[in-house]
Amino acid sequence: MSGAVALRRPVLGSVVAVDQGSVRHSAANLDDVEVGRRFAAGDECALALAYERWAGQVHGMAVRAFGPGPDAEDVTQQTFIAAWTGRARFRPEASPLPAWLVGICRHKIADTWARRERQRREADAAMSQAQAAPVAGYGPGVDSVVADRVLVLDELDRLGQPQRGIIELAFFADLTHAQIAERTGLPLGTVKSHIRRTLERLRSRLEGDGAALPA
Amino acid sequence: MQHCLPEQLALAALREPLPDDDALHLAACDRCRGEVTSLRRAVDAVAVPELAEPGPAVEPPPSVWAAIAAATGTTVAPDSLTPEPVGAQVLPFRSRRRGLVLVAAAAVAGAVLGAGVTAVLRGGDATESVTAVALDPLNDEQASGRAEVVVREDGSRALQVDLEAPALDGEYYELWLIEPQVVDMVPLGVLRPGTQTFELPAGLDLGEYPVVDVSVEPIDGDPTHSGVSVARGQLDS
Ligand SMILES: [Zn+2]
Repeated sequence: MSGAVALRRPVLGSVVAVDQGSVRHSAANLDDVEVGRRFAAGDECALALAYERWAGQVHGMAVRAFGPGPDAEDVTQQTFIAAWTGRARFRPEASPLPAWLVGICRHKIADTWARRERQRREADAAMSQAQAAPVAGYGPGVDSVVADRVLVLDELDRLGQPQRGIIELAFFADLTHAQIAERTGLPLGTVKSHIRRTLERLRSRLEGDGAALPA
Repeated sequence: MQHCLPEQLALAALREPLPDDDALHLAACDRCRGEVTSLRRAVDAVAVPELAEPGPAVEPPPSVWAAIAAATGTTVAPDSLTPEPVGAQVLPFRSRRRGLVLVAAAAVAGAVLGAGVTAVLRGGDATESVTAVALDPLNDEQASGRAEVVVREDGSRALQVDLEAPALDGEYYELWLIEPQVVDMVPLGVLRPGTQTFELPAGLDLGEYPVVDVSVEPIDGDPTHSGVSVARGQLDS
């Protein structure tokens, strides 16, 4: 009996009472920039607010990639956990918090693809060993693209601004360099040369890494 | 031969249309085309609709926040998961690491029943009912009933519960006393449809834990509230 009581003990008073009112009433009208700043500073209320404001966007991406269900939920959850634990790398003055979250979500999606690819290869290897016959595979280059994707996203994280913002608008918003110039207010020539240098940098990362040379 | 400018080749790698002169040259020049191809490898790696800017928002289920809260140890919850106080129709949800995350702020209504009340009643009949509350179904659930606090001659207290609810298979009902914030709770035990009496811990202030809650629990060895409440009522005196 006392054992049962001890087991149940953790549910009694195990949660610290925090001032809910402050989340609801004062923090709720913080602008996005301030939420980003507080997030970077480690304010838990900002994590809750970020979730409140942008979990739908992030989860929408995850669902678009994997359909509704555990995979998408895992991506969304991992995105926020990674954002929170990696908040020291977030620069609120350089990029808005939602853009940063979306960037992390892309990583989590690409990681999930890479993991599946690895599992597929392992399954194929096991199968071919069992059959002592070569496996036709799923066409050349599938796994190299999956690996390239992880590398490109990783390299994007290393870019400063405005380079990162520019190339993301080109890659993910499908804007032309003229539209990017208009959107960012940067001169056309600047946008073009940043694009050029960023693509060169990504090329050297892909070629230099050698992990996934094209077939 | 005048080759295309490096910037133009980068734009071509992004599949932007080039001015006619450049386009003509590119079509004919292996060197420039080779450059575009090598720059395009990065472009193609991420040029998939799944990685594009977010489209329509989809609200994740509450379990996603619960997992985030558990992993980060945060005790704050988003407003979307903490409805404004409107009564007792709020459900706690589970977070394995930190017990229950703050999810609800139901208002305490009316006076509370504390130790003082029981003291006054001591020495009366064998048992005396001091307060009763209807257990109303939550979210169209089939469960309802009544809970009554009784005080025995020796001053000990018990909660007598009548539950009308369908029998469960592979799950069971559990009875809880919960504080109005739906954070802390006291489990009283396994409940089955019909009438049962539960001992109330001596010293438990019913004013602090006035919400009588019936949950459905899976048989999973997890002693915390499943987050699935089917009936509830709030004691007052
Ligand atoms: Zn040329």
